[in-house]
Amino acid sequence: MEFKELISSSEAVDVYKCGDKAVKLFKINRPKTNALYEALTHARVEDTGLNVPIIHEVSVIDGRWAITMDLIEGKTLEDVMKEDPANLEKYINDMVDLHLTVHSKVTPKLSKLKDKLARQINSLDTISDAVKYELLTRLESMPKHTKLCHGNFTPANIILNEKGTFIVDWAAARQGNASADVARTYLLFSLTNPEAAEMYMNAFCKKTNTSKKYVQEWLPIVAAAQLTEGKPEQRDFLMKWIDVVAYE
Amino acid sequence: MAKKEQAAVAATAPAATGIVDNMDALLAKISEVRAAQQIFATYSQEQVDKIFRAAAMAANKQRIPLAKMAVEETGMGVVEDKVIKNHYAAEYIYNAYKNTKTCGVIEEDLSGGMKKIAEPIGVVAAVIPTTNPTSTAIFKTLISLKTRNGIIISPHPRAKKSTIAAAKVVLDAAVAAGAPAGIIGWIDIPSLEMTNELMRSADIILATGGPGMVKAAYSSGKPALGVGAGNTPAIIDDSADIVMAVNSIIHSKTFDNGMICASEQSVILLDKIYNKAKKEFVDRGCYILKPDETEKVRKTILINGSLNAKIVGQTAHTIASLAGVEVPETTKILIGEVESVDIEEEFAHEKLSPVLAMYRAKDFDDAVAKAERLIADGGYGHTSSLYVDTVTGQDKIAKFSETMKTCRILINTPSSQGGIGDLYNFRLAPSLTLGCGSWGGNSVSENVGVKHLLNVKTVAERRENMLWFRTPEKVYFKKGCMPVALAELKSVMHKKKAFIVTDSFLYKNGYVAPIEQKLDEMGIQHTCFYDVAPDPTLGCAMRGAEAMRSFEPDVIIALGGGSAMDAGKIMWVLYEHPDANFEDMAMDFMDIRKRVYEYPEMGTKAYFIAIPTSSGTGSEVTPFAIITDEKSGVKYPLADYQLLPNMAIVDTDNMMSQPKGLTSASGIDVLTHALEAYVSIMASDYTDGLALKAMKNVFDYLPSAYENGAKDPKARQKMADAACMAGMAFANAFLGLNHSMAHKLGAFHHLAHGLANAVLLTNVMRYNASETPTKMGTFPQYEYPHALARYAECARYCGFTGKTDEECFEKLLAGIEDLKKKVGVKESIQAYGVDEKYFLDTLDDMVEQAFNDQCTGANPRYPLMKEIKELYLKSYYGK
Repeated sequence: MEFKELISSSEAVDVYKCGDKAVKLFKINRPKTNALYEALTHARVEDTGLNVPIIHEVSVIDGRWAITMDLIEGKTLEDVMKEDPANLEKYINDMVDLHLTVHSKVTPKLSKLKDKLARQINSLDTISDAVKYELLTRLESMPKHTKLCHGNFTPANIILNEKGTFIVDWAAARQGNASADVARTYLLFSLTNPEAAEMYMNAFCKKTNTSKKYVQEWLPIVAAAQLTEGKPEQRDFLMKWIDVVAYE
Repeated sequence: MAKKEQAAVAATAPAATGIVDNMDALLAKISEVRAAQQIFATYSQEQVDKIFRAAAMAANKQRIPLAKMAVEETGMGVVEDKVIKNHYAAEYIYNAYKNTKTCGVIEEDLSGGMKKIAEPIGVVAAVIPTTNPTSTAIFKTLISLKTRNGIIISPHPRAKKSTIAAAKVVLDAAVAAGAPAGIIGWIDIPSLEMTNELMRSADIILATGGPGMVKAAYSSGKPALGVGAGNTPAIIDDSADIVMAVNSIIHSKTFDNGMICASEQSVILLDKIYNKAKKEFVDRGCYILKPDETEKVRKTILINGSLNAKIVGQTAHTIASLAGVEVPETTKILIGEVESVDIEEEFAHEKLSPVLAMYRAKDFDDAVAKAERLIADGGYGHTSSLYVDTVTGQDKIAKFSETMKTCRILINTPSSQGGIGDLYNFRLAPSLTLGCGSWGGNSVSENVGVKHLLNVKTVAERRENMLWFRTPEKVYFKKGCMPVALAELKSVMHKKKAFIVTDSFLYKNGYVAPIEQKLDEMGIQHTCFYDVAPDPTLGCAMRGAEAMRSFEPDVIIALGGGSAMDAGKIMWVLYEHPDANFEDMAMDFMDIRKRVYEYPEMGTKAYFIAIPTSSGTGSEVTPFAIITDEKSGVKYPLADYQLLPNMAIVDTDNMMSQPKGLTSASGIDVLTHALEAYVSIMASDYTDGLALKAMKNVFDYLPSAYENGAKDPKARQKMADAACMAGMAFANAFLGLNHSMAHKLGAFHHLAHGLANAVLLTNVMRYNASETPTKMGTFPQYEYPHALARYAECARYCGFTGKTDEECFEKLLAGIEDLKKKVGVKESIQAYGVDEKYFLDTLDDMVEQAFNDQCTGANPRYPLMKEIKELYLKSYYGK
């Protein structure tokens, strides 16, 4: 197999274009569970009927685990937003609608988002036990929902082409609380584009008749989860979001 | 850091057991405390009180070191104020409960046969917050000791050292005073997992903390006393003492740097006094933020809608510095003048710090509306506060109290110190755990105290109900007594207008004339309503009542059989109470004293005299009447002592020419009344005598009365007495299933009431006499199924003797059958011409209605519907 074009690259994977397929190659040091778990998660999302690339093969290529799936060509929503900033609000609205479609799906066999968040918070060694205790208490008190959550629902993971709108990168997908998923999107927006973040939050709350306070309850939790990525430039920002108390 | 902390804690932990820093250690600790509690549960009140006192004294002595430790460890609050809180938790709690009985019998009512016994609950799981780490620990351990409970504390990681130190002070003193070692425990290195396990394993949870912790407590599956968030608004009305109001709020809001959950979060000033109150705040050292400063503080106190941990329990100056606002170091409170009471407004939140929102209200209603909204924003169930002139402002207090969904409504009181009780009002229980009711998701709405940590057992001994014997105040009898009795109307009662109720037969045949004559003699005006038909209707009663309203009698004389007397009673009700609702009045009761509907008082307009002309219903002495709504066909059986006539006149002269059929049917009705009253579950010695004599009269005199009529005036007299005595018996002991079933035979198949009773009687008696009934009637004095013995008593009294109860009973049944034959009563329902198909078609409806009849409840055997059905079938075919 010939890898003609590197589409993207991160700490964990390199994605190559290979004919009409995309091949996600895991870095050599990554455990195989990463690839297998991601493929399984993705396959379960495929079952929901959402517009997502289809996985065709999981294999080992030159000693690296690989997932081969449809190549979705087109512009990302991120590109579109950059090109047409005047219509940001419209794109945000469309994105929230798409997010709600995701949340309308039920995937009972997917792992639970709350479990993942608890694991992430417990793994942190950069916050005090007292803060951890408060975060876990807060997390545990949140309602247990079973909606499909993308886990990284950003404009960069939405691709538009003549066939429609596709959502990619389902590695972090879990079942859980839609507001937690929206809080994560809000957080990712806030790191780069606070104005878009506010628009996103407001549009979601309005469309779903959810109180903003309820989504905000998740923010210290998703901020702590984001802290596990260990990006020093985000630390102060995230710590500010984390260092809050529930009233007594 | 972690190691150093562990070492410090280890030094304070009891030597006998290890540190609780993992799940196994926690489980061991729970077992240890549980074992200690089992010993503690056997302690006497005296032992407990000694321990409670010693523990309170020890905590009190350590109030300053504990306060210092709490501030040092948490970096929040004010040492001097925490001293007060510790002092309060020790002294006020001891004082409030020192004499409270918490062990063994705590209440006893000998005559009522009721005893209350207090028992401990077991092991209490106590979650302690960071805001009051020592005082809450003292409070919870003390009330646990007073109630003989064990307690395990889950401290907050941020305040664990001071919370544990406080618990240890109480534990050491308690054990020194005789408490079992290990009666108080704690988690040394808290984790959410262990806190949850503790809550699951304990017997009850005292959860103080944030909403997450309270929710965890409630979802643990164990009963929880949790408390929630406060967002106390304080209104200053224009009638209030402004200086006192403002300074009370400052005093409260600055207390422990605003960390008490009941503390004021916003002050709502009425427009009229806004400037004056604002000036007082400023004069007393508060700082009113300028608009740009307000904005800076807004963004500092809240982050994404949650409270910034850095401002909790800090001074106004520290918080201002964090926000980049310069204020004098001695500033007491930062005040933001804001308008929105919406949750989006940062100042509208609970702030746990000396930061206060200030609102301007155009009038009192506006102020209340704002306060209501602030409570909805996050203070449901907690506390609200109003400053007002209590002399002129009671209406305002009432409106405020009605509107606020808070469990504490404080008037002219600093809410931090006021909400915890016993400081500014001495009827509000002292507590550091304030229940917020269902509004706050809590199981209690009051200040939590020792009573919430007790299981109270109520020992209830069997007692019998008070019974009664009620009868008309005057019952006159003997042949020829009527004119003599009526003379009282003039000579004793000075009545002026009499209203006679009777039927047209009696009227046309001159039965009313002697009464009219007597009334004329006495110069009493009279009129007569003689339109009563058998089975009187509501329409007839309404016409009669209408006539009464225009005639305005002060005495009503009902003359006739059951129909005329019943119609007279109903007219009496409608005359005295035109709005009476028959549907309500007819509502069945289980116990006439406990009925839902209360009958209106009768006799305020007219005295009621009943004069029977047949020997049957006994209506002249009973509180019963039946009326039919002719429009709907519904029969309303009414029963209440308000319907009891005031005077009954049993004069045989009125009964001499009863036809044979009436004599026999009403005679058997009397026998049924007497027998049912005698075996009723409500029968008493008072009714028994009457019932026995009545039934004996029937056996002895009914045949002759039937055969000879007016020719045997003695038999007539004895039957008239029997009817009236049986009436008095069942007016108090009530009837039974025989009547329930007869009522429905009458309603469905128009069988005359007396005959309906007659065809059922021996079948129902045999059914009742079972020594192993499926179910027996429910009444404390009805101890076991004994209808057979009771029937045997009837038998012997009436002359049917034998060696055993069974033999007497059989002879009694035979005697009844014999009597029925003698007076021409047929053997079965079928013999009275009731169509078989129609009978079977209506049977199920009859069964259900008979089961539901008011008379069924007093029957000695509680019938199943299928049993009623069998009885009907047996009586239909005469087998």
